[in-house]
Amino acid sequence: MREAVEKDISIYIHIPFCEQKCNYCAFASFCVSESEKEKYIEFLCKEIEKRKSSRPVKTIYIGGGTPSVLSEEQIEKVVKAVYKNFDVYEDAEFAIEANPNSTTEEKLLKWKKLRVNRVSIGVQSLSDKSLKKINRLHDRKMAIEKIKLARRYFSNVSADLLVGLEGESGKDLSKYALELLSLGIKHISCYLLEVYEGTKLYDLVQSKKYLPLDDDKTIEAFNKLSNFLVDKGMERYEISNFAFLGFESQHNLNYWARGDYLGFGLGAHSFENNRRYRNSDKFSEYYESKVYEENLTSKEIIEEEVMLGLRCKLGVDLEKIKNLGYDLTKNEYFADYLRQGIIKRNGNVVTLNPTFYHISNTIIANLLP
Amino acid sequence: MKDLSLIRNFCIIAHIDHGKSTLADRLIEMTGTVSKRDMQDQILDSMELEREKGITIKLAPTRLIYEFEGKEYTLNLIDTPGHVDFTYEVSRSLAACEGALLLVDASQGVEAQTLANTYLAFDNNLETVPVINKIDLPSARVEEVKEEIEEVIGLDAEDCPCISAKEGTNIDQVLKAIITKIPAPKGDVNGKLKCLIFDSHYDNFKGAICLVRVFDGTVKAGDKILMMQTGKIFEVTEVGIFVPSTKSTNSLSAGDVGYISASIKTISDVKVGDTVTSAEDPIEKPLDGYKSVQPVVFCGIFPVDGAKYGELKDSLEKLKLNDASLQFTPEVSSALGYGFRCGFLGLLHLEIITERLEREFNLDIITTAPSVSYNVYKTNGDMIVVSNPSSLPPTVEIDRIEEPIVKVNIFTPPEYVGAIMELCQNKRGVYKDMQYLDKKRVELVYTLPLGEIIYNFFDSLKSRTKGYASFDYEMAGFEKADLVKVDLMLNGEKCDALSLIVHKDNAYNRGRELAEKLKKIIPRQLFEVPIQACIGNKVIARETISAMRKDVLAKCYGGDVTRKRKLLEKQKEGKKRMRKIGSVEIPSEAFMSILKLDDDK
Repeated sequence: MREAVEKDISIYIHIPFCEQKCNYCAFASFCVSESEKEKYIEFLCKEIEKRKSSRPVKTIYIGGGTPSVLSEEQIEKVVKAVYKNFDVYEDAEFAIEANPNSTTEEKLLKWKKLRVNRVSIGVQSLSDKSLKKINRLHDRKMAIEKIKLARRYFSNVSADLLVGLEGESGKDLSKYALELLSLGIKHISCYLLEVYEGTKLYDLVQSKKYLPLDDDKTIEAFNKLSNFLVDKGMERYEISNFAFLGFESQHNLNYWARGDYLGFGLGAHSFENNRRYRNSDKFSEYYESKVYEENLTSKEIIEEEVMLGLRCKLGVDLEKIKNLGYDLTKNEYFADYLRQGIIKRNGNVVTLNPTFYHISNTIIANLLP
Repeated sequence: MKDLSLIRNFCIIAHIDHGKSTLADRLIEMTGTVSKRDMQDQILDSMELEREKGITIKLAPTRLIYEFEGKEYTLNLIDTPGHVDFTYEVSRSLAACEGALLLVDASQGVEAQTLANTYLAFDNNLETVPVINKIDLPSARVEEVKEEIEEVIGLDAEDCPCISAKEGTNIDQVLKAIITKIPAPKGDVNGKLKCLIFDSHYDNFKGAICLVRVFDGTVKAGDKILMMQTGKIFEVTEVGIFVPSTKSTNSLSAGDVGYISASIKTISDVKVGDTVTSAEDPIEKPLDGYKSVQPVVFCGIFPVDGAKYGELKDSLEKLKLNDASLQFTPEVSSALGYGFRCGFLGLLHLEIITERLEREFNLDIITTAPSVSYNVYKTNGDMIVVSNPSSLPPTVEIDRIEEPIVKVNIFTPPEYVGAIMELCQNKRGVYKDMQYLDKKRVELVYTLPLGEIIYNFFDSLKSRTKGYASFDYEMAGFEKADLVKVDLMLNGEKCDALSLIVHKDNAYNRGRELAEKLKKIIPRQLFEVPIQACIGNKVIARETISAMRKDVLAKCYGGDVTRKRKLLEKQKEGKKRMRKIGSVEIPSEAFMSILKLDDDK
């Protein structure tokens, strides 16, 4: 990791488009016409230009939606806008999200040329039955094919897996994970399936046409998968993320370390000097440059430090939050948790034992000021 | 010169819901005491809570002026509380009167409470005038109820007023009966001062105020008065009457009902039932019947937020200003922190106080299960009074325990006699008597441990009799009983606030039920938590709370931070209602759960 330079920032770029909406998706992503995309890219580039800054950029992350739906020309436009207006480190981490269906060799080549060095692929499952049920466009075969293709150009490839899908046990998930690792995947994000109201999946679950795992089974499956990955030498460096040493997402670590970042595009969030602000997630408002702001109080800053620090390996710096006015060691739960091995203390840094990540809400809530 | 023959002092006795406050309203209205504009329903029930519960807790006297056959009469109405918890207050109010209206619901007939208070009226030699209310109801059975009054109580109800207080029917007949049937007060205006304190309340500006009935003599501002029980002397600053708000007058004299204020700083100096006389020229002997009221039901009250202990203390002190019968002493619980052990006249009193703390003082409180006070005789010969289960000495130090016993009168339609007998049996009751009052009503008399009464008796009685039975009780001394303390252990740690004292035969069942109940109430914890009910070191029941499985916000990237932080803040906020016993967190409702154990299961 680079020597921390105070002024470094990260950049996030949101591409709110998909070829087809997955039925569990509750994010700002839309299936739109080519002309709509063009209009968006146009405005996005203007936004990047308008908000240019002299602060050096240490990570770039293009997320979505599905950024891989953009054509080579479109993505090039966006990336060039960044390079034109920002000073990006030579070795900056530059990640892009992709799904198997829209990833092509031409696009991979283009990304490589644009200095992208990390590709994160939305695999979700390696069972055809499961993929079909959640309305993914790819099947098992295509997923494996595209991972192989991506690996040909990129050493740092990450895959997402969903935990909690109907009928998928920890054993199934471990089997998928083994396949992913054998394909050279260096980073796996494991997300719990969440069924949000308003999604198609929600209706299916309500009418009992789709039966996701219950809470207990989901956690059982997750823990099994987690143990498997750790056995294989990966580190669970955050609640949902596993990586081999050196392949952690620098971009996401910056979020959890409360480093500054600028977010461009629909609904994108930014964080600068303890000020959080975001673009509107409605196209009409976004095109009017509508921004929502929030200034954090000192208590909220401490809460963020505790919450974000404990959910990843970075931990909470006791000295730092003490200077902000909160002595965590005086918290009524602190000593108990330490004794019970729920949290660990190493000098001034307190981390949450990953064994308890699945019940971290209660623990973190109790440790808040 | 004052003419005592133009004064009537009376009260209304009735069972809850028989329409006492509504009748009082009609009387006030008819005599023009309160203008229509200021009239609000049930004007004498001054507390919000009283109006809501439809019961009168505090007595509120009022003076009515009524012209009858060309003469202007002063009618002093002393309203009485209708609940068993306040029997002593009722008896003092009755002692301030010469007569009572006995209000009976035309569809319900005579109830336990009615009878109990009527006997109190007889004890005080009151002329009792039956009034049948709610004749407008389709279910009214006026003739039968008249017979019932004659048979059960032995009062002539032949030509008693039959009214509808709600609709204002025949209220004039009530006024006529008050004047013609209830005797005028006797007394010597020029004699030595003799007043009965039948109530008191606290005014922020005037201090403790005595509500009095003057029997002899005259009292006015500047007089020195002596409280005969407490021996304290005060200088009167103001006297006056109730219209029904206070109105100062030059003096109060024999026959009058009114108030005396004398810059009395503490309400405990004004004891209900005490006799007030002149400090310079006192009477020899106080009025009969003074009793110091002792609380019989106890519970712990703790602030949900430990930091609010001071506020709780202030609030209790303020409540005590107007309620001398409320008692409280500081208590420390390992589970609940700092709070108070409070004593009440009964369960309703307890409920009223806790509700007032929450509503009027905006406090979030935790109340522990109610307990009675036991006389514990130790092997070393000492006797201690234990009203908090956690302070019961170890078994080896106890020679015997005596528990308070009450005599219970239950009125019920005959078809429920079997169910009630079974209930009383389960509650360790001893049968005393049964009487058929008429074809439709039976009176059952039992003695029961008070500890069983406060444990769900009322609800069980209501549910077994579809609400038809009514009951009343009076204290009947102490009796030796085979009692044990059941402790609750959470994760191996004793939770003092959940201990209970029960009869040995019920210990196993109660312990098991409590453990089961707690398992339902206590949410999953980080680790598996055993719940054990124990007598001494012996475990009599065990349950397990499973470990929490899923409680996580899986994703948290740039855009999620604020939302997630708010979720966690909310989760933390919810924790404020939780108490920690060792490492186990318990919702505050758990502490009342002992009460809600379902006996009839």
